[in-house]
Amino acid sequence: MGRWEVMVGNKAIAYAAKLARVQFISAYPITPQTSVVEYLAEMVASGELDAEFVNVEGELTAQTAALGASAAGARAFTATSGPGLLYMHHPMHATSGGRFPVVMAVIHRSVKGMQPDHSDMMSQRDTGWIMLECENSQELLDTGIMAFKIAEDERVRLPTIFAGDGYILSYTAEPVEIPSQGDVDAFLPPYRSNYPLLPGLAEEARRVQMEQWGIGQDPQLRWRRQQEAMEAAKMVIREVNEEFYKWFGRRYGNGLVEEYKCDDVEAFIVAMGTIASTARAAIDRLQARGRRIGLVKLKSFRPFPSEEFRRLGAKVRAIGVIDRNISLGSGGITFQEIRSSLYDLEERPRILGFHAGLSGKEVRVGDIEMICEKTLRAAKGEGPSSLVEWI
Amino acid sequence: MSRPIPLHELGDREYIDPANQACQGCGGAIVSRLVSKALGEGFVRAEVACCGPAFMNIRAPSIYVEVFEGAGALMTGISRGLKRIGREDVVVMGIIGDGGTVDIGFQGLSAAAERNENILWVCYDNEAYMNTGGQKSGATTPYAATTTTPIGEYSRGKLERRKNVPLLMAVQGAPYVATASVAFPEDLLGKLVHAKGIRGFRYIHVSSPCPTGWGYDPKDTIKVARGMVQSGLWPLYEVSDGILRLNYKPRELKPVREVLKMQGRFRHLNDEEIERIQREVDAFWRRLVAKDGGEIF
Repeated sequence: MGRWEVMVGNKAIAYAAKLARVQFISAYPITPQTSVVEYLAEMVASGELDAEFVNVEGELTAQTAALGASAAGARAFTATSGPGLLYMHHPMHATSGGRFPVVMAVIHRSVKGMQPDHSDMMSQRDTGWIMLECENSQELLDTGIMAFKIAEDERVRLPTIFAGDGYILSYTAEPVEIPSQGDVDAFLPPYRSNYPLLPGLAEEARRVQMEQWGIGQDPQLRWRRQQEAMEAAKMVIREVNEEFYKWFGRRYGNGLVEEYKCDDVEAFIVAMGTIASTARAAIDRLQARGRRIGLVKLKSFRPFPSEEFRRLGAKVRAIGVIDRNISLGSGGITFQEIRSSLYDLEERPRILGFHAGLSGKEVRVGDIEMICEKTLRAAKGEGPSSLVEWI
Repeated sequence: MSRPIPLHELGDREYIDPANQACQGCGGAIVSRLVSKALGEGFVRAEVACCGPAFMNIRAPSIYVEVFEGAGALMTGISRGLKRIGREDVVVMGIIGDGGTVDIGFQGLSAAAERNENILWVCYDNEAYMNTGGQKSGATTPYAATTTTPIGEYSRGKLERRKNVPLLMAVQGAPYVATASVAFPEDLLGKLVHAKGIRGFRYIHVSSPCPTGWGYDPKDTIKVARGMVQSGLWPLYEVSDGILRLNYKPRELKPVREVLKMQGRFRHLNDEEIERIQREVDAFWRRLVAKDGGEIF
């Protein structure tokens, strides 16, 4: 049995790393991530956690050192935010390219200003990392534990980010259930790399090394293998989510997306992260007034669950997508990807895009109700067939 | 302190495969052979962007990541990771170029030294970004012509002094720091074997002439490397726990002119410039000799 404690999101993240018995932590401060590594430093200092704790001199090093530790065969963890994540960009490609299952917490901070949006993680979207978004502190803790199991699965072997909105989660306290160490140990056994960088394994190590460098083979092969691993990860994420439920009694939709009150609706909205919590309140109010609209929370941004959106999109007449991000010169990122996912449907729902919460701009329940109303109008065939709006 | 070890003392066995992609006469390839010979089995190798992938015929398990600036962090992670899986016996070694050491990788190098990471950093120094065709680095000898410090009406080559990273590492308190040269293999092997037995941060900076970039006949690599040492352009010394020892201390240094004139990169030098180089070399040598056998600070 676990125990309950009121804690901020950053502490929940630190607990996830501790319960996963990480063996290596690279630490570098940046607001709003800093207290994650402070909590971990205290855990290591007090002997609660037995791990290599390395105070590095920048995020680039934090990422590269975690890569090295993972290559050696240790369970490695690091955490960062916003500009720190941008500084990691270069080695992040190396971590995923080498298929090193590093797990990293991203506490979102905008790349414009200190407040949260998803522009930091979205700037890394093509680095080949699995990216799992969380809505509250409990989900951060749970997803952090699951992230190791997903990343280290032999079918996947990809580094994994679990993320939550800075400030809104990082410094906000709420009750969180901390699972018992014994249960977590049973759920997540110690990491045993099949490819540690060690003498005596030279032949196998060299084979992996050659594949990693693309030497003596189709130069595209490692890209293809990584994409196949991403596809495989969709199944693994679902499995791990279910197994977590069996152990701990909590799950997050099917691990990829979570439907909230989506039975018998004519439309739904899509949100990631803490906006999903606000959206739940809006959906409750609207459904109480008889509006037939639900919420789909996008949990796995990478791999992107296109099949899920095709399945869900076939049941409704309109979808409203909230993006706490923008690909400048193009548009809302999840809006575009969901829209693309729906292309193969015989009958496609209308799809509307909304930019909200960038650089920490407040998103209120009323804002989401308005988004819902517009989406419902689209479901009735009113208004423009497609729309992008700034909230 | 180290003691010179002749190659034959280490036996017949080689730890590299017979061929690589390096240029003819590559100093770095010689470093790779000697390093693998000295370390034998029981080491792993980290590699970042440099000419290094051309010497990938080293048989030890190797990891290459395209993070030019990341050697210090990469080796830190490997070393700590191996410790955690109970394999601290394995030596974590990197053969890192001068760019990845003194320029883009310097922040990570300095931080790894600060943390006294249990790693062996071997810098093979060809004094420029040779893998990209020979651009100036912080290790380039002053007045050298490189592709980014070409000779022209308004340019006499590289103007800045070398960044003396071995001494910087020594001042940072690294347990073992040494310079070496491919022309003095017994000295280099001795230093490598000595370093292998030490725990903590070890740094060996090896002068590795590059015929392609320096502009000399590939058969003359050793001759040029030897000339650099004998003239004092590349003194051989080591610093163990803060005590400096000169490993090659001739009664008299050879004039720099001879070795400079062997290299195309110095062909443009006039007498006055050679004299200036000579004065700088003499002054540095005097200071080194004064420190020989004593504390460096």
